[in-house]
Amino acid sequence: MRATTKPGARFRSESRQVLRDRHAQRVLDEATNRLLEGRLAAWETVDDVQSLRDQACEIRRRAISSLDSNLEQFADAVTRVGGTVYFAKTAQEAADRVVDISRAAGATLAAKSKSMLSEEIRLNEALEAAGIRIVETDLGEYILQLAGEPPAHIIVPSIHKTAEDVARLFSEVAKRPVGPDLSELTLTARGLLREVFLEADVGITGVNFAVAETGSICLVTNEGNGRLVSSLPRVHIALMGMERIVPGLADLAVLLQLLGRSATGQTLSAYTTLITGPRRAGEADGPDQLHVVVVDNGRSALRDTEYSEMLHCIRCGACLNVCPVYRKVGGTAYSRVYSGPMGAVLLPLLQGLARAPDLPNASTLCGACADACPVKIPIPDLLLLLRRDLVEQRVTAWPERLAFEIWAAAWSSPLGYRATACAARAALPLARRLAPYLPGLSGRRLPVMPRHSYRDR
Amino acid sequence: MEPRDTLARFIENARAAGFQVTVGEASLSADAGVSEALYGLADSGSVVLAASPQEPRSRSLLPDVHISYLAEDRILPGLRELFELEGTRLPSALAIVTGPSRSSDIEQKVTVGVHGPREEHVVVIPTDHG
Amino acid sequence: MTGRSVQLFATCLGDLFLPDVVSDAVWLLEQAGYRVEFPAAQVCCGQPAFNAGHYRAARRVARTFTRAFSRSAPIIAPSGSCTSFVANSLPALLDCQPYPIHELSQFMAAADMAIPRLNEGVKVAYHHSCHMLRGLGVAREPESLLDASGAIRVPLRRPDLCCGFGGVFAARHPELSCSMADEKLSSAPRADVIVTADPGCMLHLQTRAAAGTPPVMHLASFLAGRVKR
Repeated sequence: MRATTKPGARFRSESRQVLRDRHAQRVLDEATNRLLEGRLAAWETVDDVQSLRDQACEIRRRAISSLDSNLEQFADAVTRVGGTVYFAKTAQEAADRVVDISRAAGATLAAKSKSMLSEEIRLNEALEAAGIRIVETDLGEYILQLAGEPPAHIIVPSIHKTAEDVARLFSEVAKRPVGPDLSELTLTARGLLREVFLEADVGITGVNFAVAETGSICLVTNEGNGRLVSSLPRVHIALMGMERIVPGLADLAVLLQLLGRSATGQTLSAYTTLITGPRRAGEADGPDQLHVVVVDNGRSALRDTEYSEMLHCIRCGACLNVCPVYRKVGGTAYSRVYSGPMGAVLLPLLQGLARAPDLPNASTLCGACADACPVKIPIPDLLLLLRRDLVEQRVTAWPERLAFEIWAAAWSSPLGYRATACAARAALPLARRLAPYLPGLSGRRLPVMPRHSYRDR
Repeated sequence: MEPRDTLARFIENARAAGFQVTVGEASLSADAGVSEALYGLADSGSVVLAASPQEPRSRSLLPDVHISYLAEDRILPGLRELFELEGTRLPSALAIVTGPSRSSDIEQKVTVGVHGPREEHVVVIPTDHG
Repeated sequence: MTGRSVQLFATCLGDLFLPDVVSDAVWLLEQAGYRVEFPAAQVCCGQPAFNAGHYRAARRVARTFTRAFSRSAPIIAPSGSCTSFVANSLPALLDCQPYPIHELSQFMAAADMAIPRLNEGVKVAYHHSCHMLRGLGVAREPESLLDASGAIRVPLRRPDLCCGFGGVFAARHPELSCSMADEKLSSAPRADVIVTADPGCMLHLQTRAAAGTPPVMHLASFLAGRVKR
């Protein structure tokens, strides 16, 4: 794990590193391109995808505008089918709750399937501190756990690891040489993790969607680890961001039609599971206990604000795959957890602008993300609002604010504008000579400013 | 939609998802886990399995090879119809399976049988006609 | 103003760095019979400040636009991003009525202007600027004008990708911005010239011009026949 960088410096330093890594550039280009093409092809298979997106947008709006009553209905329904719901206001509370439940169950080993929320609340650290061993079972996350690295993409977390990298990691764990052949690696992972599924006392999953009407949680995976983790251990803990709620099953059907298609180009993932309560009388397997921990951690504060649409996100990754910046810098440039366009908006909103001041500016505002979002979140508009907040909350340093005020004063009249044009015309030759030594300008051939502007002709 | 069209669509989409699909009898592999599917979904080529005393979850998860028997007349168009029919009586676990377990986490190359079955088979039992 | 009069918005980049482009735009309009007025009080629409989050500064500069232009004749700008800003953001920023602003190719196509065939056989790759493509939804128009001028359009690899300018972004993240420009410049190896309708994209790409990459030209200059001159 790399040392924490000061807020605002991460994007710049990380992005520089990744830009110079040719392997990473190739991998990012291929992976994002493949996923993007997959989405475009899959959207074509829908009769009227724009109408479906409108429906999905409306469903997310309804879910969030009645968030409290939906969550209440959900909690009642879960309780009725034999599960238990807890509400956690902060990340700490959420992590503590999971630790408490695990301790009460006498757990020594927890198996986890992919959950970005668990990264957000730093769950693994909390469990380990409590003496509970936690194993990531999602193949990409497992690889990263062995390597000690954070995820680089929300759908394909180990996007940057080669087969050789993985073979080395697996060889260490399996204590025998494992070759970089894909089937051998798969078989090895299957064997190593099968033991974990069978021995784990607690299974921890995320929640893709929670249905208020029936008290069901929906898990969307491809590998099957989500199902195994929620079927074999005696206790199942589902970690749910409060915004994952949908009112009813009909709404879920619409969102599921878009999630797989938008994320990877699949109609549905290999396993879409709807869990409604723990095991029932007579069933041979399934957890005895189902606990759903509903996490706030800054989300509820966004309702009824200009930013509430960010709560509509269904974590499909479509915006990452289409972003011209993300495909060059990868996920680590943004944060440990969320990245790309959605990360650039969500992180400052959840953590505060002062802790992620560089993210709203890590974009050219090209708008590709808004076109790609299955639920039509206007990400560029939200980025603009965040930039406005950076200035108005004085997170933006005073030299920049002063520079813009001076520029605006000069350019508030043709006379001032002409004066700065003269000054710039005089300064450009000098700037051109200094350019190779100036960090912002080296590498560019500065444009020539003609002696006469258009208006002087 | 004509029943035959639904069946044809189901078979096409199920095969595209990676299922091996046969209509009528199929030879059983000794180690295979065999389930009776609750429904099939034509839009996605999926098989719907419900946990119950007769159908443990692990049967469709642990074996290397998994076979689902699906009655032709239980093939629905898609999720919407499934939820309309089953929404008020959901089982403890409803698994909508669309092909074998897969991952592309290593070098973005697809690999199957990561944690769940490597091979997924569907045997469609045709509806009797007359 | 009469029906065949238009107001020209040169844009700050156009006025200061690309006066030939602006002259070419005027020539195209005049040869189609339009009378082109240049309101001298114009400065800049304020977009750079707005996109950087400096709303107060943006408002101050944007007011020069409202002081200079009227709504009684179409306003033509040789810039997709400035047009998009004035059309989509300026009214809300200043709490004023919208302006009848059009990007040059958008206006030319709508007016069904006859285009002189000055680019016979020239292989051109057209770069859609993001604001024009997604902010204005103007894509077919410049392409049809290029075809009408006799050019052969060749595709850019990943035409959907931003060139990396992004206004202040280019200054905040120079290495990243340049990397994006380089990729754009090397994505049309068969082209004789890369054409764009946005001065920002154009100037940015030109800062990374290298041996082996096609020259970058503005749509107005290309249609006015500067390639062959």
